[in-house]
Formats: sequence, structure tokens, C-alpha cells
Amino acid sequence: MLFPTIDFGLFFALSLALVWSLNSHNNLKKVVLLALSLAFYASWNWRFLLLLLASGAISYLVGLYVDAAAARPYRRAVLTLGVALDLGILAYFKYLDFFIAQVLTLAHDLGLNPSIAFVNVTLPVAISFMTFHAISYIIDVFRGRLAASRSPVDILLYISFFPHLVAGPIVRAHEFLPQLASPRNAGDFSFGENMLLILGGLFKKMVIANYLAVRFVDPVFTDPSQFSRFDLVMAVYAYAIQIYADFSAYTDIAIGVAALLGYRFPQNFNQPYRALGIGDFWRRWHMTLSTWLRDYLYIPLGGNRHGAFATARNLMLTMLLGGLWHGANWTFLIWGGMHGAALIADHSWRRSVAFARYGTGGLAKIVDWALTFHFVCFAWLFFRSPSLDSATQYLLGIWTDNGAQSTMPGIVPPLIACGALTQFVPPQTRAVLGAMLDDRGAVAQAAFGFAILYFVIVMAPSASAPFIYFQF
Amino acid sequence: MVSQEKSLPRKDVEGRAATTPPQLRPASATSPLRRILIVNAILALAFFAFPGGLVEWLDERNTTGWLEAPLTLARGIDAVSAATGVKALGQGLRKRFSSVIGTGED
Repeated sequence: MLFPTIDFGLFFALSLALVWSLNSHNNLKKVVLLALSLAFYASWNWRFLLLLLASGAISYLVGLYVDAAAARPYRRAVLTLGVALDLGILAYFKYLDFFIAQVLTLAHDLGLNPSIAFVNVTLPVAISFMTFHAISYIIDVFRGRLAASRSPVDILLYISFFPHLVAGPIVRAHEFLPQLASPRNAGDFSFGENMLLILGGLFKKMVIANYLAVRFVDPVFTDPSQFSRFDLVMAVYAYAIQIYADFSAYTDIAIGVAALLGYRFPQNFNQPYRALGIGDFWRRWHMTLSTWLRDYLYIPLGGNRHGAFATARNLMLTMLLGGLWHGANWTFLIWGGMHGAALIADHSWRRSVAFARYGTGGLAKIVDWALTFHFVCFAWLFFRSPSLDSATQYLLGIWTDNGAQSTMPGIVPPLIACGALTQFVPPQTRAVLGAMLDDRGAVAQAAFGFAILYFVIVMAPSASAPFIYFQF
Repeated sequence: MVSQEKSLPRKDVEGRAATTPPQLRPASATSPLRRILIVNAILALAFFAFPGGLVEWLDERNTTGWLEAPLTLARGIDAVSAATGVKALGQGLRKRFSSVIGTGED
């Protein structure tokens, strides 16, 4: 059940009515929300509900045992077991075949012929996000950041809440669980602002991301040998806009839907292509993943507390694993490694005497922005390529031109410009427009919402590309 | 990102994370019922403007005839939308937009 579909429109209308009609019966409301979330997940493959329930059960039981308030023996061992079980599920479904393929390749190179079979399992939707939510909960309980929940419904709902279930944002347990404690107040959320968030998300996904994907990016990355140097370069920029429009659209809709149901989610994007430096980029791009990696991986590894070498090692490890989190493919590992190396360079540069002397002027900022943006785009080339061979072929095509004529559709530059424009909209715009909309009557609000939706449907292509982050 | 844990405290990150800080709004704007009605009105208007999608959606799922009643209703909406010219307007605008941008679809 994808967000911009009739299925989800009807599902959301039903959920909204059910949730608010049960608001004064909080426990019943949570059970209904959980049932809705499980139904949402089952719409892809009901068999994987068992996986979701298993993840919830592990988190619930481990959480009760490792609660910092309880002086139990072997707390750390039980926590380790819980994290290992969560990661084990992820590894089995997502990485086992990749690992087997590497072993077989290595064995073949060594002239061996081991009889190892691929497991060939279907990758469950949302497994990476589910795992990160589950791990976040048990570690926060272990660290004493929140008390273990006595309610299995709360834990399952935290992991499976349908707006964030499939592609984030990664909501932390201490942000979400307290919101389940009492009935929600619709007045805490601006209706106008969240309606704009959802409609803006639909525009970014259905118009910008879909056209760029279907008309240009997908064909170019499927067979780069057929396209000219100009097209290959433009497709990289187009993909940079497409992935931003696609992923930020998903999280905008998720945040807006959750808010209309009465729950607050964290921000996930902050105009990332305006970043000055790679460190700044990661404070603006997929912010909930960045902070998750920082709190549960980078800092436990030692962070920047043990000297320059250890800091560089920790940054590289964090980004390599962050890359691998996206998928079992060398392209993601290279993408993570490139960002790791860039973060190390960025980290050193910003602490240098040269930066203090030359790095803060107007011209330096322009150079900083240009280097950051083009590095991020270059790294997307590996992220988007289906394989390392394909990425190599793509780079060779840029080098040799392939002898092809440009076939880039005329719609691409305006779409890139439109996507780029979203990086320069003043941050308060939506809040101001939302407040103006809140002051209008219900008829005006409905008319405005319908008018925007109407034009999105008019402009959207018939063919649609799936959300990029669904595969993770 | 990850290198900034000392200079960028956790509280700061989470403080920025809130999407819509609580604030006073007109009482009429905070009613859940009103929000439900507006969302349903927007969806109903969209179905009326582009009824083909809903008819097709119901038709695909009506393999055993259990959606006959809503399908009949959707076909009725489709007929009214077509008779009033609303359906044709939507289709025409889609066709015109796709020809302007050169996709030639629809």
C-alpha cells in the first residue's frame, strides 16, 4: 500500500475517523492503531507479520530485563543477545545471499568448489527500519533513557506504527512512547501546516520524482552505454533531485499523516543540497539515520574522544555500515566509504589553522558548497547503479561519450530547477501558510486542499516509480 | 554528522526536530471531527473529478462480487461526473499537460 494510491487514501480516511473517535479510550485506540498498522504491513506480504511480531516480542522481553532501574545480573549480556537477534534477522534476510556470493567468488578464485546454496529469501519490506527501531528501544532502556514499557501493545505499535513503518523517519522510542501514554490533542498540531506537508509531498513524489525517474534517470542507469556524456552527467544531477524529492516526499507525508493522527515525528530533511561540507550534509540529509548512527554506533565506537586516528576509523566504520544498511551491494559499500573518507577530510579541514584563516569568507563558502554538492552527486552515481560493473560502464561513458546524441527530454531541466528551488524556500514558509489556512473556514480549507490535489493528479504521469527507500 | 557529538548536543538536534510546535489555534480549527470531514471532502472531490481510477480500483478487487454495491455507487458517480463535464475537464487537462511536456500519454 503506497502513500499516493487510492488504497492508502481510503485506508487513511478510515484510520483518521477510527483513531479520533476512540481518542478518549486510549488503550482501545492503541489496539486499533496496532491492528491498522499490522493490516498496512500485511498488505505487502502477510507472512512477514510473524517477523514484525517476533521483533516486537524480542524488544518487549529484552526491554523488561535490561531496564536500568532493575539491578539484574547479565543485563549487558541480555542486551547483546537482543541486539544480536535483531541484527541476525536483518542479516539473514538482507545480507546472507550477498555474503554467500562473496564466499563463492573467493572460493572460485582459489580453485575451490564448495557446495553452499543461496537461501533465496524474499526481502521483507521495511526490515532495515524495523530493526533500527527495535535496537533503539532496547539500548535506550538499557542506558536508562526511558523506562521499559510494560505494555506489549505499546512496543509493537512503536515498531509498526504505519506512517513510519516502511521508510521512516526513524523515530526514537523516547520520542514516541511517551506520546502513547495519554489521549492526543488535535490542537497541538496545525491542520493547515500538515495538510501542506502531505500535499507538498505528493507533488514532490508524483510529479518531480516520478517524471525524472520514468522519463530519464531509469533508462539512463539501466543501460548507460546508449547515452551521451551530456545525458550521463545530467542524469546524475537528475537523480540527486529525484532521490531528494522521492525520499523527502515519503517522510513529509509520513510526518503529516502521523500529525493528523495526533503523533509527532522528528524532522528528517533540512534542505540538504545547501550544505557547506559533508558533515553539514549529514546534519541535513536523512537526519534520523544520521543521529541513529551517531548515538548507537559512532559514539559507542569511541566517537572523537580518542585522537585523530581513532576518530577517522570510527567515522569510516560508521559510514561503511551506514552504506551497507541501504543494501547488500558493493555499490552501497563504496558510497558509504566515499562519504566516510569525505567526512574524515571535512573533520580535519574544519579543525585546521588553514580553515580558520581562509575557510570562512564568502568565496570560500561558495567553493565549499560547490565541492560538497558535486561530491554528493558523484557519490549518488554509485548509490544508484545496480552493480559495480554498471557504475564502471557509466563512468567510462562519461569519459568516452559513447558516440551518442543527447536524448534528454525537455521536461528534465525544469524539473531539476523545480527540485532545486525547494532548497531555497524559507524554512518558515509552510508554518506561515499553514497558520493562514488554519484561520480559514472548513469549506475554504477543503477547496484549497482539493485544488492542490487536483493539479497534482493533472500533472502526474500515468507510470509511477516505487519509493526508492522501500527497498531498504 | 557523527563527528559533532560534542559541539552539537543531542537536545539541540531534537529541539529542531519538532515539526509543528504547539500553539494556540482557533477552537474551530482544532476539532478532530472537522479535520475528518475536510479530509473526506477532499478525497470525495478528487474521486468525483477523476472517477475512472476509483471504478477501476473497485472493479479489480470485485472478483467475487463482494464490492458490487460500492462499485455501482462509483459507476453512478462516474456517470454524474461525465454528464456534468467534470470528468472530461480532468482528462482534457491531463492530456494537455502531457502533450505540453511531450510525453504523449493518456
